[in-house]
Amino acid sequence: MFRTEEMEINMGPQHPSTHGVLRLVLQLDGEEIRAMRPVIGYLHRGVEKLCEHRTFPMIEPLTDRLDYVAAISENLGYCGAVEKLMGVQVPPRAQYIRVVLAELQRIASHLLWLGTHALDLGAMTVFFYTFREREIILDLFESFCGARLTYNSMRIGGLYEDVPRGWFDRVRHFLKIFPGRMQEYEDLLTVNRIFVGRTKGVGFLSAEDAVAWGVSGPPLRASGVNYDVRKAIPYSSYEDFEFDVPLGAHGDTYDRYLVRMEEMRQCCRILRQALDRMPDGEVRAKVPKYIKPPAGEIYHVVESPRGEQGFYIVATGGEMPYRMRFRAPSFVNTQALPMLCRGRLMADVVAIIGSIDIVLGDCDR
Amino acid sequence: MADDKEPKPPSPEPPARAAGEGAAVPPAAKPEAAKPAAPPAAPAPPAAGAAPPAASAPAPPAPPKADPLKEPVPSRAIDLMRQALPDALLEVTYHAGQALVRVPPLRLLEVLRFLRDHADLRFDYLSNLTGMHWPKKERPLEVVYHLYSIPRRHRLTVKIDLAEGEAAPSVTGLWPTADWHEREAFDLFGIGFAGHPDLRRILMPDEWSGHPLRKEYPLEGNPGDHVQYRDVGTAEHVYRYDKAAIRGFGWKKEVEKTGTGKG
Repeated sequence: MFRTEEMEINMGPQHPSTHGVLRLVLQLDGEEIRAMRPVIGYLHRGVEKLCEHRTFPMIEPLTDRLDYVAAISENLGYCGAVEKLMGVQVPPRAQYIRVVLAELQRIASHLLWLGTHALDLGAMTVFFYTFREREIILDLFESFCGARLTYNSMRIGGLYEDVPRGWFDRVRHFLKIFPGRMQEYEDLLTVNRIFVGRTKGVGFLSAEDAVAWGVSGPPLRASGVNYDVRKAIPYSSYEDFEFDVPLGAHGDTYDRYLVRMEEMRQCCRILRQALDRMPDGEVRAKVPKYIKPPAGEIYHVVESPRGEQGFYIVATGGEMPYRMRFRAPSFVNTQALPMLCRGRLMADVVAIIGSIDIVLGDCDR
Repeated sequence: MADDKEPKPPSPEPPARAAGEGAAVPPAAKPEAAKPAAPPAAPAPPAAGAAPPAASAPAPPAPPKADPLKEPVPSRAIDLMRQALPDALLEVTYHAGQALVRVPPLRLLEVLRFLRDHADLRFDYLSNLTGMHWPKKERPLEVVYHLYSIPRRHRLTVKIDLAEGEAAPSVTGLWPTADWHEREAFDLFGIGFAGHPDLRRILMPDEWSGHPLRKEYPLEGNPGDHVQYRDVGTAEHVYRYDKAAIRGFGWKKEVEKTGTGKG
């Protein structure tokens, strides 16, 4: 006898392929997904509430813990927001070093994504290759600020210190070897029949839907929408650099993969330019010892590896923010999951989650 | 400098100089420049009539000295809104080159639809939506909308304020992305959204009581909140641990204010 009723099952919050504590309630008809309901909040730590009780410099370490895979992007966005709020001009050298750090971080974050995404789809080898290169970047960060994951690498007004001697040479060395390593990943995946079969045509997202649902970052650009904050509203002197914004044509999982791969190459381009034109001088603007931004509010946006990372600060003239809101790209992108998964098979969910590249620390805050 | 001119009754000249100086030198020097101009008016009765208006003349340029951060920036969106919906603009403010518009809650949807659909504006991307709580204000709750236009590359912030218990109109019909943002504002602030398809808590557990981002909500939560969610020791034990940890941080005052636990 056949039983034909629909079945509701939980995927997560402890499922290995949900990359954290994301719970998906799936309504299944056989193996086909009829509806999906993401449930988040398992990693909610009340960071926004906590920020209202911390002084401005004390908040920076908290931002590390939001998107812990790309902490430098969070540092950059937060410091940029406070600087804008206060009207502080950051010295050019600090701006350039920040760009170097942020782009290295983007590569490291994409490498982590690539390794785990391929692992989810059954390709074990790529994981070891990408972590080999990610290790080099983490070593660079470690010698810059002493930490390997939660960097607290910047200060309001610039940087805590200049880079150590020989650090730029090590970055150059990395840039020399990295394109060859990129080729290795591409050889393993781009024309791999299993990988292409699992990703091509899966999780289609149209440009209109992507914009309406507020999707940002590589998933938005894979749908063909040209919106990269670094180009649209340049910050930290991104307007000085020449780079392309890779766009996808179909908006499927495979396009999101291609866009991120190309983004890593563009990161290398930015890095080379930044190293070649690195200005001399101070790395920290003159900021008061007690940071008390004037009353007002600011919404500052940066392009994190996951998308548009917004920082909304409301200050009332005190040493703590009155209200602090993090516009988390993972939070907004997760919302689009049900739309991407509808009508697909259960196994595709794993590929789609991977291609959206969410970090639950960022999502739940 | 101004002392040399003091005996001279012809008033037009010294105030004119003072005004000229006031405009040239940084704002801090302005009160000094204005003061010497006033005393000559007192001994010379005929000039007294002329001097006060002259002395008050440099005063109007004083507001611009205020703050470079608050300077208005040209905004196509605000110009067009002034033309099309002049009565919907309650207040326009600027900070660091960002424009903020406050509109009445009842006209919110009309304003946002205008901003989204106008061919010159096309705010097609709702970047952020969030709430705010100002317990001392008459209308204590606020909802903030951060709009961005991908084709036009400009930004605008729109705000509404709400009385306690008043629901904001849901904008999920304009931008579906507002769904989770509004759920979050409901969860953390207790702001209702009329017309939202599925207004439930999103970050906090479903059975939670209270709205954590309200200002009266204590940092460590209400007594009893932790009990069912943290099973390390008793609730009393947890509070004592938190209190000690926070005291070590130098935030004693904060703990006393929130007043959780007694141990």
